[in-house]
Amino acid sequence: MRIILLLGILFLVACSSIDCPVKNTVAVYYDVKQYDEEGELVTDTLKDTLWVWSRRVDGQDTLLNRLVGNTRFSLPISYQQPEDTLIFAIRDTSLVFTLDTVWLKKDDIPHFESVDCAAHFFHELTGVRCTHNGIDSLVLHTTSVTYDDGVTNLRIFFKDRQQVTPYY
Amino acid sequence: MRILKNRIALWLLALLLPALPSKAQNPLDLERDTLPFFRGFAVSGEIIGAMQMILGDYGQYEAALRLNLRNRYFPIFEVGYGKASHEDDVVTGISYHTKAPYFRVGCDFNVAKNKRSSNRVYAGLRYAYTNYKVDISCQTFPDPTWKWPTSFDVKDIPCWQHWAEVVFGVDAQVFGPLHLGWSVRYRRRLFHEDGITGKTWYVPGYGTQDSSNLAATFNVIVDI
Repeated sequence: MRIILLLGILFLVACSSIDCPVKNTVAVYYDVKQYDEEGELVTDTLKDTLWVWSRRVDGQDTLLNRLVGNTRFSLPISYQQPEDTLIFAIRDTSLVFTLDTVWLKKDDIPHFESVDCAAHFFHELTGVRCTHNGIDSLVLHTTSVTYDDGVTNLRIFFKDRQQVTPYY
Repeated sequence: MRILKNRIALWLLALLLPALPSKAQNPLDLERDTLPFFRGFAVSGEIIGAMQMILGDYGQYEAALRLNLRNRYFPIFEVGYGKASHEDDVVTGISYHTKAPYFRVGCDFNVAKNKRSSNRVYAGLRYAYTNYKVDISCQTFPDPTWKWPTSFDVKDIPCWQHWAEVVFGVDAQVFGPLHLGWSVRYRRRLFHEDGITGKTWYVPGYGTQDSSNLAATFNVIVDI
């Protein structure tokens, strides 16, 4: 009888664990791509230097700073704006800048793990458009934006430097 | 080959020996089972879930009806009402609300050597189901990158869950028809729908999903 009561009390005061996901960054993943001479889709390398800016409340507008030599990069996505506006600045080796604006339209879905884990938003990309000064095209690949960092959300194709319209 | 056969025969004999009655000098001297098939039923109330409901953010009120068949088999039907009301978490600012009924059906087996004893040791299985709706909201917090104020408030997210439990329990007679018993349960989700927000926290009858798969119950039982 005493043992039964003791076990009941032990259960009531037993510990519980908090199990929040370790990988909890929600970001949009861009793969740099190009078509080779045979028209095959192949991985490209970012030969020029890339900055990405967006207007933020705190005035810290840089999202990506001096990225070069990458085949893939990620950018944050806003929690609740219906459309994100991003400025892509590309500087080539002769220090000439080209600027492009990228608009990313999306639906925002609140994501809940537990009351002990911080709230996040997942997203469903519904549309993408951009100007075409340095960017040749931007193609939606995987529309779902989650914790998963193994996906490609967008394929970005940069123009050949001969085609670029410089920004002065 | 013969040695192997002899070993197998010895192993089989060793396995079968405990199954024979200890006093079975003569195999025909087995005690005849004179217990009637239906031995009555018992109703019970669960205490731990009720205590959780009173002292914490979540819990459940639960009652059960258990049939007694030959003091060996105990088909059981458990029904309850689970509720969670977690308001503005101190760290995350999240509120979580749900309330719904649930049920479990299954059978316990009295594994005690002396099945005529009023104290019993059970092993059993349960199948359980609940259909519930969840409200989740979050206080305003800044977007981590853009710093705009952000919040959400989602109501009546439809969810459901089927799960199974493996039960091990003890039931002791206190006096007359009154018994007290506890059980330890290993729970496993079979099928579930957690709604558009990804996951749910407290599931009525199942408990919280971020804790372990083990649970316990403490029951007050009345034999009728």
